[in-house]
This record gives sequence, structure tokens and C-alpha cells, in this order.
Amino acid sequence: MFSGLLEELVQNLKKLPGIGTKSAERLAMFIVNMEKEKAHELADSIKETVDSYTNCIVCNVLSENEICEFCGALNRDEHLLCVVENTQDVYLIEKMHEFNGKYFVLGNLLSPIDGIGPQQIYFSKLKELVKSAKIKEIILALNPSAEGESTINFIASQLENVEITRLSVGLPFGGDIEYTSSMTLSSAFKRRFSVTE
Amino acid sequence: MEISSLKLKNYRNFADYEINFNSVGALISGKNGVGKTNLLEAIAYFAFGKSFNTNQDEELINFSKAFFHISAKFNLKNRVYQFDVGCDKNRKNIKIDGKNISKISELYQFLKIIYFSPNDIRIIDGSPSLRRIFINQATAQYSFNYLDSLRRYKHILKQRNSILKTNFDTSEKKIWDQQFFKSAIEIIKIRIDYLQKFSPILAEKYFQISGEREKLKTKYLFSFPQKLESIEENFSEQMKKNEHQEKIQQRSLIGPHLDDIDFEIDDKSARKYASQGQKRSLAIAVRFVQADLILKKGNEPPILMFDDVLADLDRDRVGEIIQMLEKNHQIFIATPNATIYQNYELPIVKLEGFSE
Ligand SMILES: [Zn+2]
Repeated sequence: MFSGLLEELVQNLKKLPGIGTKSAERLAMFIVNMEKEKAHELADSIKETVDSYTNCIVCNVLSENEICEFCGALNRDEHLLCVVENTQDVYLIEKMHEFNGKYFVLGNLLSPIDGIGPQQIYFSKLKELVKSAKIKEIILALNPSAEGESTINFIASQLENVEITRLSVGLPFGGDIEYTSSMTLSSAFKRRFSVTE
Repeated sequence: MEISSLKLKNYRNFADYEINFNSVGALISGKNGVGKTNLLEAIAYFAFGKSFNTNQDEELINFSKAFFHISAKFNLKNRVYQFDVGCDKNRKNIKIDGKNISKISELYQFLKIIYFSPNDIRIIDGSPSLRRIFINQATAQYSFNYLDSLRRYKHILKQRNSILKTNFDTSEKKIWDQQFFKSAIEIIKIRIDYLQKFSPILAEKYFQISGEREKLKTKYLFSFPQKLESIEENFSEQMKKNEHQEKIQQRSLIGPHLDDIDFEIDDKSARKYASQGQKRSLAIAVRFVQADLILKKGNEPPILMFDDVLADLDRDRVGEIIQMLEKNHQIFIATPNATIYQNYELPIVKLEGFSE
């Protein structure tokens, strides 16, 4: 089919999530047919971004600086640490404008199938951070998937002298009790709250 | 609920086929090999999100074609729903009213079809895995969230088995043990809850079919001993005992993925001791109870499909079974011999051989 440089491009595009051979070939053809200037812009922008982004040395958030905007900020509450899986989650939480503490990115969730154990997430770094900093509460904002649950339970079992909370799991807005899983329902029940709240 | 129309494109031996059904159903007749089972299989695809004969969607694509497509209209809750499935070698899409479903459990919530297969006798005397498929499917049709819980259990099981294959850290394994425990107990409890409703009705139906002679019991067979009071205690006790052995065998040695059920006729295991005739009528009774429970839960009557299963039974038993049919089910009967069912007023759909 394709050969030489074009095939190499196809193979590289296939490394992106959700891109199979067909889409990769379509994208490769699109790229080589682009105006040269536009294509160079795309290539440069990928290169520059990759070169200039690095993981924050404190919290692992992807950042243009060694210390990210959150760790560097003076007006954020350093008693609160929100632990998330990746940088995207940080921006999701930022969007809701409810949280004004610091972040910590684990990079992964525990998943033996994928060979990810405690050494493959930034757990020891988290442990050190908790020891040294003035953190009073750790909020584990992880997915309620099997992997997220395990990671939450693991972290909770390993950290001492700090309050550990997790996001509540409950009924979705617009949901229907009849179609809610018993796990979700029992969790929503346990964490019910006053209607005046 | 009922199906009112079906369109097949490149499905098995149907290159292009269209048919309308009325609310009583149809008697599908034709020689062996004309595709009677395939027609039932296509209708039932929407109840299970897959074929009842194979897990390989590719096998359903007409020889030499690149894809298949099924579309059907189902009437339920006084509304018409359009169902579509399109499938090629790489992917499949299932749609309800033009919207992709996000998980198979959505289909289970919607459509209830009971397929009486000539292989159902294997539920009685086949391997435990076949009975697990049965109990999982029947429970999923009855209990909304069972399928999602089961999927979660299987996933956690896979994670736990992976960790057993490594030189694991005990504190990490403990975390997966806890999740495994919780999920396993959830599955077992939903199943037992289902069997508690299922068992007395089956006993009653089977008593009827057997000419009021034989007593039937359905038992849940645990993959771990029941010595202590609760299932939880028994499970965690055995998990502790298995710790060493699981490390050697590198897999989970107890859990609902290894549990089984047993039918006992007059206190003897049907799997081992029942005659062919007993097994056959028991298999049919089992499917009836599956349908009955769906109905009792307040759902619309499920569609019933009989794939050449009544022909081998003796006349008395056929009579008993036909009497059990409530008039309000839509019924499909596939048979090479339509005359057996002449008392049963169903429109006849005659399938002819197809030439390629
Ligand atoms: Zn940072």
C-alpha cells in the first residue's frame, strides 16, 4: 500500500489513541495534500509543545514551567490536596471553580492487567509530599472504576496522619432510580444529605 | 412486546429479506437448512446484543460479503421502536431509534425474548459453564443491573488473576481481594435472589408436566463450603484458606465464575440420573419459568421462540406445554413439520431454499 516516508507517517499516526490504520492513512493523505505552510505549522506546533511541556516537579501536572501554575500560586489553600489521575482531570476540576487547593497527578491507576502497580504510579512521591507539606486533607478525585476504587483504597491504607476523602458516588442528575445500579444506589443512600443543604 | 417487521441484509443465508409479522407471531416452516433458526437468531439479536449461537459476529456475515445489517420494528409500551444493528469485520453498531446504545444492558432492559433451543437440554446435563450462561442470562433479563455488575466482576477477576501471576506486594493484593470479595458477593446474592423466585415456580410447572408425579428442586452450588452462617463469612474464610494454593495456581479458585446450579428430580441430580424425556421437558419448563418471572415482574409478555423443540416430546407433554402458553405472548415456532401445530392458529411463513 503506502511506502517510504508516507508509511512511516501512517505508523506514527496510529500511535494516537482511537486511530486505526484506515484513519491513519486518511490523515496522512490529508496532511501531505495540505498547503505546505499549514502542514509545517502543524509539525512545528507539535514539536514546540512537546519540547516546552514537562511534568511539574512537585505535582506532575503538565506545565510549561518546572513548577506549575498551581504549585506556584500563592493564593491557593495548601492544606488541601486533590489527587487525580491525569492533567486533564485537573482542568476539569478547575472549570467548575469550586476547588482552590493544590493538585497531585498520579499518572495512572493501579491495574495489574497492564502491569501497573504502586511503583508505576507516583505513589512514593505522593507519600513524601504528604510528609513534608502542610496538607490536612487529601481528596481522592479518581474514577469509581475497579482500578480507581483499588487506587483509592490503596492510598487510603498507606497514608497516615492526614484526613482522606473521596468524591461521593451517587445518582446522576436526570437519572432514574429504577435504572441505577445497586452499588450506586447504596452509595447514594449511605451518603444522603439534608434537603435544606 | 412484539416484533412487527424485520429486514435482513447479508445475514447468514439471507442476502436481502423482508418480512412483516402480526401480533400472534408465526409458524416458520421449511426444509432443514433453509434458515429457520437464522431467522429466529436475527430477531433475538436485539434482545441479547449478539447471536444466541455464536460470539463471533463475523460468522453471521453472508459468505463473501463485507457486512450484515438487521433492522426491526418492535412494539412495546404502546410505542414503536426502531432497532438496527450493522456489523462489519471491525465493528458493530446497535441503535435504538437511530441512537447508538452505549452498553448491551440497555437492550436487556428493553427487549425480552425467550429462545427455546434444541440444545437447552444441555442446561440440564451439560458442563457447569452452560448452566452459568443460563443463570447469567436469565438473571440479567430479570434484574436491571445484573449485567453491569457481572461485567465489573469479570473485570475485577481478571485484574486479580493478573496480580496472582506476579510477585505481588501483599498490601496491593489485599486491595484487589477486597474488591473481588465485594463484587463476588453482589453477584451471588442477585443470583440467589433470582433462584428463590425461580425455584418454586419451576417445581410447580414441572409437577404439572410430569403428570403430577415428580418433585423438583433447584439448588445453587457454591464453589466454596457453607459451614458458617453467612455467605460472606464462608467466602472470606475460604479465600483465606486458598491463599497459598491461589499463589501456586495463579488464579482465583472460588467465586461466582465457578458456581453452578443443580436440578434435582425426587432428590436425585437431574444432570446424572434423569432420562432424556425428563431432561427435555425440564429444559422447556426452565424456559417457561424464565418467561413467567419476566411477566410477573410487570413487564409486557416476552416473545417466545420455539426452535423445533416440541416435536420430540410425546403427545401428552406437548399438550401440557401448549396449555401453559398464555395467549398474549407473540410466538414463533420453527419446524420442518407444520402439521403438528395445526391446532395452533399461527400464520405460516414458508421459507424456500435460497440460490446464491
Ligand atoms: Zn505542580
